[in-house]
Amino acid sequence: MSYELNVAHLYGDLMNTYGDVGNILALNYYAKQMDVTLNVKVVSLEESFHAADYDLAFFGGGQDFEQTIVSQDIQTKKAELIKFIESGGPLLAICGGFQLLGHYYIGADGEKLPGIGALDHYTLAQDHNRFIGDIVIKNQETGETYHGFENHQGLTYLGKGERPLGNVISGKGNNGEDGTEGAIYKNVYCSYFHGPILTRNGDIAKHLLVAALKRKYPDADFSQQEALPIPATF
Amino acid sequence: MSFRSGVATFAGKSSYWFLHTFLHGGSSLPGKITLKLDPNILRTLGAKYDVIVITGTNGKTLTTALTVSVLREKYPDILTNPTGSNMEQGIVTTFLNAKNPKTGRPLAVLEVDEANVIKVTQYIEPKAFVFTNIFRDQMDRYGEIYTTYQKILDGVALAPNATIIANGDSPIFHSKELPNPIQYYGFDNQPDGDFKAKPNTDGVLCPNCEHILHYHSLTYSNQGKYFCPNCGFSRPELTYRLTKLGEQTPTSSKFDIDGHPFKIQVGGTYNIYNALAAYAVGRFMGVTPEQVSDAFNANQQVFGRQEVINVDGKRVTIILVKNPVGLDQVLHMIGTDTHPFSLVGLLNANYADGIDTSWIWDGDFEQLADRDIPTVITGGERYKDITFRLKVAGIPDDRHIVEPNLEKVVDEIKKVSTDRVYVLATYTAMLQMRKILADKGYVKEGLGL
Repeated sequence: MSYELNVAHLYGDLMNTYGDVGNILALNYYAKQMDVTLNVKVVSLEESFHAADYDLAFFGGGQDFEQTIVSQDIQTKKAELIKFIESGGPLLAICGGFQLLGHYYIGADGEKLPGIGALDHYTLAQDHNRFIGDIVIKNQETGETYHGFENHQGLTYLGKGERPLGNVISGKGNNGEDGTEGAIYKNVYCSYFHGPILTRNGDIAKHLLVAALKRKYPDADFSQQEALPIPATF
Repeated sequence: MSFRSGVATFAGKSSYWFLHTFLHGGSSLPGKITLKLDPNILRTLGAKYDVIVITGTNGKTLTTALTVSVLREKYPDILTNPTGSNMEQGIVTTFLNAKNPKTGRPLAVLEVDEANVIKVTQYIEPKAFVFTNIFRDQMDRYGEIYTTYQKILDGVALAPNATIIANGDSPIFHSKELPNPIQYYGFDNQPDGDFKAKPNTDGVLCPNCEHILHYHSLTYSNQGKYFCPNCGFSRPELTYRLTKLGEQTPTSSKFDIDGHPFKIQVGGTYNIYNALAAYAVGRFMGVTPEQVSDAFNANQQVFGRQEVINVDGKRVTIILVKNPVGLDQVLHMIGTDTHPFSLVGLLNANYADGIDTSWIWDGDFEQLADRDIPTVITGGERYKDITFRLKVAGIPDDRHIVEPNLEKVVDEIKKVSTDRVYVLATYTAMLQMRKILADKGYVKEGLGL
């Protein structure tokens, strides 16, 4: 049989810097190989997000101005997003998306802007500096190595209940201090990686898709999908 | 001219002569020397000219070249800066190299980098500014589109009487109240519908009320006849209108502006915007539509960016790609070719290319999937990134040659089944490719831009 997953592309028309849409393209690419059809829908300003309507979500990074607007609007989706996350919904959040899932972040003008506090991190801002460059991290649990390109002013500090996506091998990571990069909480994967992340790290795409499939089709056997080989692309 | 300016000018001019004669170079160093001796030199050098400043992310070079040819129809003496010399030092050098004007008050048409507009307006009050567009470029350099526009406006603020001639289809150019007289140009060739830009488009928030903009018609990216369903903000009245879009091929475009037919020997909707900008400046300066048409017909060489190179019988077109909107437009343009073609993608990530390759994912390579391209070759220093991009876009493995080495890419190009080959390359990849083609005798040394 073939499977179908409904994907919410959160604020896809506003949070879309640095080729983040490539994550959707990569999800599609691997989904096809898993016999899965993705129905992707952009959920943006003044549109409602119902946790029950979606099997997977992607939330990209944006420019400062757009992120300010999203930080206000996302409060209206807060309850349903938390419901989605707490019930094991797989979500990938990059850069600004990562920041907005936490408690707050400091914007370009130094103002404190709210996230939705679904995850227990917060984000400060560097003074006139950005972390820009290639980055490599390693996930201690899976042993997987991930490659990306980081470009962020934010300094994110993880809270309790969150594990890093990986430990920094080269590059700066969440804050340049504690050696962490990104976050994992339940089936939520967060990162500052562009590249975009799923195009260089197909394993993460596979984890997200398999988690979504198992959640939506609890009785099906996905051993074949889990065994899908992911050749290196980077 | 003050004594100081005189000394500075002499030093700059002689250094240009030296560099030009003995080192075959020297586009910004004379300016640098002159600026060191007299930081206010532009005031002295520019005082004699009526200056038109052309700025924006994409299309500066061609718009400048086209504007110069259009204005030459009426004005004999026009100074302009060579490609790439669009920062302060290059602009000073341009003035230094100018011959003394033959008649009255000459014009200077200058391509100016967005952040360098203020370096010009500190000393010179231009007669007009042309704003082509603002798209995401290499964000590690200038940041976001709003920051870029603000940099331009910081420069414009010093010249409140200069007329702004702006792309009216770009919402950002209608986002701030300015004291300057403004004229807009844009596309007005479609019946009204109701559309949204595609999801990964930049700059779609209403500057007024921060809702998502809609469009009665869209050309590409976030450009078109926009309107905000929430607050009524909309595209301003156009002074110069593209009234009809005719046949487009990769090497030509036909269209009407204000009812007058034109043809340019270059493809791409983005180049029609450039022509529309040149037309607008021409009309603003009193050039007739007939003269504009003559200029478009006469000056084929300004379209040199799409030079066709004969490689053992293959018609190879090398096209520079540097940012997502430009890439998208190039893909659309080669898609207008009615002949079969092969495609080569060469990706580097040196500073001049942009060190982050993520932007290739914003280019809609998927639009080529239906074209049944017989051979796709990917190469360059970051060949893995561009290879996977095309794999994801649906290029089948049996038609896809991966070849990092550019010498070997040339060998592969000779073997493709089509006569036409499009090579899309980032800046340093393009230089390397041209060097190889020059070494093999297919092109003369040099950039050819």
